[in-house]
Amino acid sequence: MAEKKGVGHAYNIDFLNVVFAASSIFLLLSTVWMVCDDYDRDWKNTQRRFARLQYDVTRAQYRQARDKVDRPKLQQLQAQLKSAEQNVKANQSKVDGLQKKLDEIEIRLDRANRDYQYMKATYDHDRYDFESARAAGVQGTAKKGENVADEAKQLKDLDLNVQKITAERNAAQNDLAQYTGAVGTIQKQLEDLRAEQLRLRKVAEAQAPSATKDYFLNAPLLDFLAPTIKINQLILPDVVDDVNFKTVPKMDRCTTCHLGIDKAGFEKYPQPFTTHPNLDAYLGSKSPHPIDRIGCTVCHDGMGQSVSFKDASHTPTGEKQKETWEKKYGWEEPHEWDYPMLPTKMTDASCQKCHKQEIYIPKAEALNVAYSTYERAGCYACHKTRGFDTTTMRKPGPILTKIESKLTKDWVKTWVRNPRAVKQTTWMPRIWYNSNSSSPQDAVRNEVEINAAVNYLFANSEKWEPPISNPKPGDAKSGEKIVKSIGCQGCHVVGEGSREQAGPHRTFGQPLENIGTKTTYEWVFNWVRDPKHYNPNTYMPNLRLTDAQAADVATYLMTLKAAGGDQAKATYTQKDVDDTLLDYYTALMPAASAKATVAKLDDNQKQLDLVRRSSIGTAVSAATRSRGSRRRSRSGRICLKRAASLSRGSTSASSQTSRTRRSSAGSIASCTTRASSTKAACCSHSTSCGCRISICQTSKWSDC
Amino acid sequence: MGFIKGIINAVTDPKIFFVLAVVGLFVVLWKREKIASNVFGYGVLGALLAFFVFGTFDPNFRLIVTKPDNVPIVGLIFLLVFFIWYSIREAVFNDRRIDAGQGPIEKDESDRVWVWPDLVYTELISLILCSVVLIVWSILLKAPLEQPANPANTPNPSKAPWYFLGLQEMLVYFDPWLAGVVLPGLIIAGLIAIPYIDKNPKGNGYFTFKERKAEISIFLFGFAVLWVSLIVLGTFLRGPNWNFFGPFEFWDIHKLEALTNVNLSEYVWVRLLRTGMPSFWLIRDLPGILLVLFYVFALPVILSKNLFRRYYEKLGPPRYYVSVFLFLSMMSLPLKMLSRWLFNLKYVVNIGEYFFNI
Repeated sequence: MAEKKGVGHAYNIDFLNVVFAASSIFLLLSTVWMVCDDYDRDWKNTQRRFARLQYDVTRAQYRQARDKVDRPKLQQLQAQLKSAEQNVKANQSKVDGLQKKLDEIEIRLDRANRDYQYMKATYDHDRYDFESARAAGVQGTAKKGENVADEAKQLKDLDLNVQKITAERNAAQNDLAQYTGAVGTIQKQLEDLRAEQLRLRKVAEAQAPSATKDYFLNAPLLDFLAPTIKINQLILPDVVDDVNFKTVPKMDRCTTCHLGIDKAGFEKYPQPFTTHPNLDAYLGSKSPHPIDRIGCTVCHDGMGQSVSFKDASHTPTGEKQKETWEKKYGWEEPHEWDYPMLPTKMTDASCQKCHKQEIYIPKAEALNVAYSTYERAGCYACHKTRGFDTTTMRKPGPILTKIESKLTKDWVKTWVRNPRAVKQTTWMPRIWYNSNSSSPQDAVRNEVEINAAVNYLFANSEKWEPPISNPKPGDAKSGEKIVKSIGCQGCHVVGEGSREQAGPHRTFGQPLENIGTKTTYEWVFNWVRDPKHYNPNTYMPNLRLTDAQAADVATYLMTLKAAGGDQAKATYTQKDVDDTLLDYYTALMPAASAKATVAKLDDNQKQLDLVRRSSIGTAVSAATRSRGSRRRSRSGRICLKRAASLSRGSTSASSQTSRTRRSSAGSIASCTTRASSTKAACCSHSTSCGCRISICQTSKWSDC
Repeated sequence: MGFIKGIINAVTDPKIFFVLAVVGLFVVLWKREKIASNVFGYGVLGALLAFFVFGTFDPNFRLIVTKPDNVPIVGLIFLLVFFIWYSIREAVFNDRRIDAGQGPIEKDESDRVWVWPDLVYTELISLILCSVVLIVWSILLKAPLEQPANPANTPNPSKAPWYFLGLQEMLVYFDPWLAGVVLPGLIIAGLIAIPYIDKNPKGNGYFTFKERKAEISIFLFGFAVLWVSLIVLGTFLRGPNWNFFGPFEFWDIHKLEALTNVNLSEYVWVRLLRTGMPSFWLIRDLPGILLVLFYVFALPVILSKNLFRRYYEKLGPPRYYVSVFLFLSMMSLPLKMLSRWLFNLKYVVNIGEYFFNI
């Protein structure tokens, strides 16, 4: 650039000219590129497709309407029309004459009317002039007054004239109508017959593609005039989107692409043009949810303001659709909008936004099932949920306050270890042996805690006097007949299979396929005879059976036996118990004090304290309160044996079905030393975690 | 491939990166005769292009470099390299001519040119080219409109706009009062003061290096090394939690760095003298305070007697002291950075009671 210069020039002009030309061409190209980039939008192509589709659909509807017209009637009317027209033609000269007369009368009428009106205007002016002058007290208004009176008279004459000519015209019209009137009425009847067809034809003509529409009205830079392709939006001023620092009225632009959503007739076409299902309930103008009042995102969520497929946070219905969308649209998980669209089968969830007070919302079946499943499964008992008030609702699990009189420790341990292995359709969750606590080391600790929990439950169990102890057995066959006829199967089933097969409604009462292995004949008899004696809060009704019937039913039920459940996966020693307890204590206090505290407890106390972590020294022994039936002392002995065997460090693993009695070999004395009859304040659970037992549902622990 | 990426990841560590930048500037100015050649210019351009093309194949690199906010900084790198090369080349040419007795090239050019076409025509062409660049840029790089701001969700890393990234990098080494208020203020004050303290009449209206060695070196050090390279560091090489991540490294938010930095007072009292830290702040930070006072008040005087004697004589005391103060303030940043890297030094003066740290 420093070489070839003209005089007084800093640059070589020829070179600059080339640069200027090249850069101008680049500018032109980039501007054209910019205009294309701006005007090429996906939704525009969608709207063009829909315009063609709509035209085709309208044409099809038109052809349908045309074919539906009553052919014989149509032909009859057309014949009538023809004969009427022929009549007119036959009397054509008369008709023409009458028409001429009518025209001439019309002209006269027109003139007379005009005369009258001009006269009226003049009269009004003069009258006002006169009256205002008179009112103002101006002298010499008499002449004016006379003038006005004259004009009034003229006006009246002219009016009469107009009326006369009008009467003439009406007469002439009537004469003419005698010939031509018939044609008019028949034509109107024809139109009525083909009304729908004609309407659809008009609509189709309006929707027909045309060069003006496609290339002129929607052209770049000209589309501010009257575009046929534009964004459609519904604004709901009193329904808002929360964008963290502001609430913004909902602006739903979904109908920019979903053009057929509120039009009947597009049910069979693919998205985005499909008609909304059930237009009578949703989006129709007569429905309770008209589209201009409710929009789209109130029910479906998603980003209503967007006009592109990806930004709108469409959610696929499943894996297959996800893959299709990823391939077709480059869909990816939306992360720019906090309220992504609900999958279509979950749309019911939005009903509660407005239908808040209704427990059962008609037509929102998925939501209703969800509510009832939530309540039946008892999720609210652990997870605080608005709308489920735990102070008034009963807990979802059965009572454990009298567990000693119904179950054995072995059964409860097996149950607690893995409830679903005993009863496939139970709601109770598994607390130990989860996917992150099943290693061999975890197994030892799991067994320690399971045993401790069960021992605690039994140690705190109340006594229960069955109304009839030692009932006589009955006849299983008649029992079966009663069970299958009296209504037991309204709530209970035997052998339900998996949870998915049973469904949420079926398992209200517990499944009974292994009731025989679970508890004793005495318990079942007394329960069937009078459920509320054992649990005053139970849902099970009193079926008003006689004792004999109850005996039969109980005998039949006791024949339903099934083994099941997981065995203990580890054995443990007293040291394991100590370590676990120490683990809990060191979370609360320095290691040295924890060791000292633990060392002060004896083995059985350690067991119970593992669950309770209460202050040292208080213990409960259900056994020592015993003063009654053989059964209780039996269970008490089991408790002692269990504790004794533990303190000797022998295994606790056992089968869950039998209540084995091992001969005790001492240490009974050590057990009876804990013979304080005061109950432990079992709710001295500190709320600092560690003990997972605290979520068990005994009613005593309701303060936890 | 991975081997090369590993080397690049290692080389871009701030310690090495910064030292390379300083050494690089020194070499560029020292060997400016070689650098002024076209071959070198095209070679550097080729190397940069090759680096970016090579990097684009790596997804981590792509993610950082093609982020719409970071694309201008890539442009900044190319532009800066070009302009420094070009100006040094012109300076070298002019220095050769001056050595040969001719004046600089600019003297030979006529001192008056036509408004049309020389001024306005070129302005028109520049306008057109700017428009083309802006239009193409706006089509290709969309403005990032992210999700509604969520006060419960802080982005990690939270980066300042590019023009403040140098200061954000300074925050690693300095207390916010210094890095955010004092030093930026001194930068601005220093830039304003330049016309008043620069008494060198040479180099007015033409490129030269020989006649303005100190001025150009100091400015390039402050601009290219301290300002721009820290911006590049902050844009591309700082990731979550302001940890260092090489250009081919995945931004792992869980990456841990051991922060084992020690205050000067701790070095003196605990490590050297083996006593506890004094509780009264004045005693505790006396070594640091003395050091700072020495650096700010005594060092200029000392320098005026030996290293900077010529400048002292040329500028006179007021200009000299202002210049030296600004120069020492500027150098406090690389000195602090070196102390951090070599001695794990955290604060020279650490007075937590009054929220004052240096």
